Amino acid sequence: MNDTNAIAKKNRTALLLFLISLALTAVVLSLPAYRFTSSVYTKKSANTFVGDEKYTEVRAEVDAVAEEYRASGMDVSVSESVTERTNSKGEATSMVAFSVDQEFTKTGWSFLGSGLGSAWVLLAMLLCMVMSTACAAAGVIGSMGDDWHHLDGRSAAFRTASGVLALAALLLVPVFFMMNTYLMSRRVGLYLDELIPEGKDAFFAKLDGFLFGGQAGENIDDMLDGLRFRNTGAVWMVLPFAAAMMLAGIQIRNGSITHTLVRGLLYAFVIVLCLFILYPYYVMLVTAFRSIAETNDSDFLHLLPTQWRFGNLKDIVDRGVLRYLLNSLLIAGGATVIALLCGIPAAYAMARMRFKGKSVFLGFVIVSQMFSPVVLLIGIAQLIAALHLNDSIVGLMLINAAFNQAFAIWLLRGTFVSISPEMEQAAKIDGCNTVGSLVRVLLPMAAPGIVTTLIFVFINAWNEFTISSVLISTASNRPITVGITQFSNLNMIEWQNLFAASLLATIPVVILFMCIEKHLTSGLTSGGVKG
Amino acid sequence: MNKTLQNKIKPYIWLLPSIILMALFVIFPIMIVFRLAFSEVSKSGLMGGFVGLQNFKDAIGLPAFKTVMLNTLYWVISVVGLSTVLGFIIAMVLNQKFHGRKIARAILVFPWATSLVVQASVWNYIIKYEYGNLNNILLNLGIIKEAINWRSSYQIEFLWECGVGIFVTIPFVAFCVLSGLQSIDGTLYEAADIDGASYWDKLWRITVPLVKPSLTVSTVLNIIYVFNSFPIIYTMTRGAPANKTDTLVTYLYMLNFYDRQKGPATALSVIGFLVLCICAGVYMVGVMRKEEEL
Repeated sequence: MNDTNAIAKKNRTALLLFLISLALTAVVLSLPAYRFTSSVYTKKSANTFVGDEKYTEVRAEVDAVAEEYRASGMDVSVSESVTERTNSKGEATSMVAFSVDQEFTKTGWSFLGSGLGSAWVLLAMLLCMVMSTACAAAGVIGSMGDDWHHLDGRSAAFRTASGVLALAALLLVPVFFMMNTYLMSRRVGLYLDELIPEGKDAFFAKLDGFLFGGQAGENIDDMLDGLRFRNTGAVWMVLPFAAAMMLAGIQIRNGSITHTLVRGLLYAFVIVLCLFILYPYYVMLVTAFRSIAETNDSDFLHLLPTQWRFGNLKDIVDRGVLRYLLNSLLIAGGATVIALLCGIPAAYAMARMRFKGKSVFLGFVIVSQMFSPVVLLIGIAQLIAALHLNDSIVGLMLINAAFNQAFAIWLLRGTFVSISPEMEQAAKIDGCNTVGSLVRVLLPMAAPGIVTTLIFVFINAWNEFTISSVLISTASNRPITVGITQFSNLNMIEWQNLFAASLLATIPVVILFMCIEKHLTSGLTSGGVKG
Repeated sequence: MNKTLQNKIKPYIWLLPSIILMALFVIFPIMIVFRLAFSEVSKSGLMGGFVGLQNFKDAIGLPAFKTVMLNTLYWVISVVGLSTVLGFIIAMVLNQKFHGRKIARAILVFPWATSLVVQASVWNYIIKYEYGNLNNILLNLGIIKEAINWRSSYQIEFLWECGVGIFVTIPFVAFCVLSGLQSIDGTLYEAADIDGASYWDKLWRITVPLVKPSLTVSTVLNIIYVFNSFPIIYTMTRGAPANKTDTLVTYLYMLNFYDRQKGPATALSVIGFLVLCICAGVYMVGVMRKEEEL
């Protein structure tokens, strides 16, 4: 009984919070949200020094203009800027620019009637808040004292909706500001520079109506050209109220605010993380199918390609990309085969046999993992030249196999150790020799670990860049990682071709990697730690 | 008698292919580099007589030597340090149970699986001032009013390079930590809960000590990988301006293959190699001590 009262009391408090937030939001929207400055009249006066005769004359003229504006009821101020220069004869000259600036503010409410895109965002935010409050009321009334765990379906749905709507309102506040920046700076700029053709007049008429009360008329281009604006931060003050609504919504729905918030933050973190990781891939995809003009567009006109040019793929194929992919396949495939052919017996010996120098060899394996081919580049280049493997795919196979050998042994040994030797012993009793028991018994059982190793070595060899770029000089022998650099020479980077080729180089490996993700990590660390 | 001899030799035969492969392509280049470093080397790479430490003196005397060494230090410390911290946090989050965890983990694999040249090229395009995608997206979403110059000085460019380094290194750390986290016995936390331990207590007393081995492995391997990382800097700035953004690896590449100063380049190679050897040594001592405990 007491419990029911406590819950009912909490729910009443939450409802009150909804109503207070709504009322305060209404108040906040009547505060000035944006402060604008726009030049209504400018006059430049050359060969004028501050304080001289000409200055006084022009200043009086400008003041008279300002006075006229004031008489018509506009709030204007006069500002001046001085540019001093030395002319070709070595004399100091000075130019004074006068400007009559109109300053005004707009409240949040005034946006609603403006017909601008941001008005709809603001309206949506307000509607979300009102509906959130309504849903909360509908969900709470009739089940005021009910435990959160035993709500009937309808009130539960209403209560959930109130929280979700409050969250939506919260997110719409920054969208409102973004929208305003976009409309009043970016879109105006695009129209004034005549970069986008349609809709200018209608849009400028709306801005005239909203900003200047329709008085600018034909001067609207000039007025908007000098438009400066900054937000006063007033609308940001809605954020805490929307947040309070959301918390109240969580309170009436789940009881425990902390738990829900922690879960919410968890999801928010994961979503942001995933978007951030995927961002470069989005850029690659979008840029790969643009036209050259669009990849180098310094006006930043289009977020997405206006026309998806899949012909770019044909262009890069004509430039030999298929050949590079084939080379990469050969190099990575060959390296993988060699690394496994050498690595499996070694890993088997390390896992199953006792011999002198085992720990020395293990130490050597671990240490040789430390040597990247890059530091030894000079030595490798000389060695390859001495072996007459310069500019050859076979040379790259061997080097990649050698530098992945340690990793292969490490991963494979970990797999073999984790499999009990009993089955092999049984096979031996049945008359199998060591090789037979390895091939027929151990390898099938170790298949997941072997596939992991195989893919890992393959990917490392596929992505290798430095050694190949040094050793390969003939174009037709290049692997894809080196091949894509032909699209970015110092004079001109063909971004669309570069990224189209990059996509082809990336997609297969990413898919392969996703297949082994689960097995790979356990192999990586267990091999290292258990030594 | 014959049988025992055979049994004694057998393991070495199994090891032989692997040893030959590594000896030829790992040990041999190391020897070549060492020999070159102490010899007179002509511009075409021909080896002359023994010159002692002359090449090392030349290398240290290069105007960019100090900058490059400091850059290498900043590069390794910032990339390894930050990616370890961030990777740990991300692994902790991805270890929770939530909807879409598998998708999130699959996405986290992306940077790890992508070639560094490709990654560096994409980021290079993203941060271009005149037409890059970051300015495009921020302008068209109305977040900024005008295009921002994201690479206004070489210090900032170097920071971007470090950022890309961190971006590509995080997945490796995160997956290493995740595998460590998944091997922790859940009953430990239940016991701690019964004892009334707080979240932070559990983190510092249970999670961190048990994940430490995985974290050590990933940190040491990362130091090696990051120290040797070449494509990011090569693609984004090529060390410009005047080697101010070079690290040891990119610098020795430029010295050797562009400037044809092969003597100092091999000396730098040996210096880099010795630094790696010290890391390897520290790591080995750690592994050996671990083995004694087990």
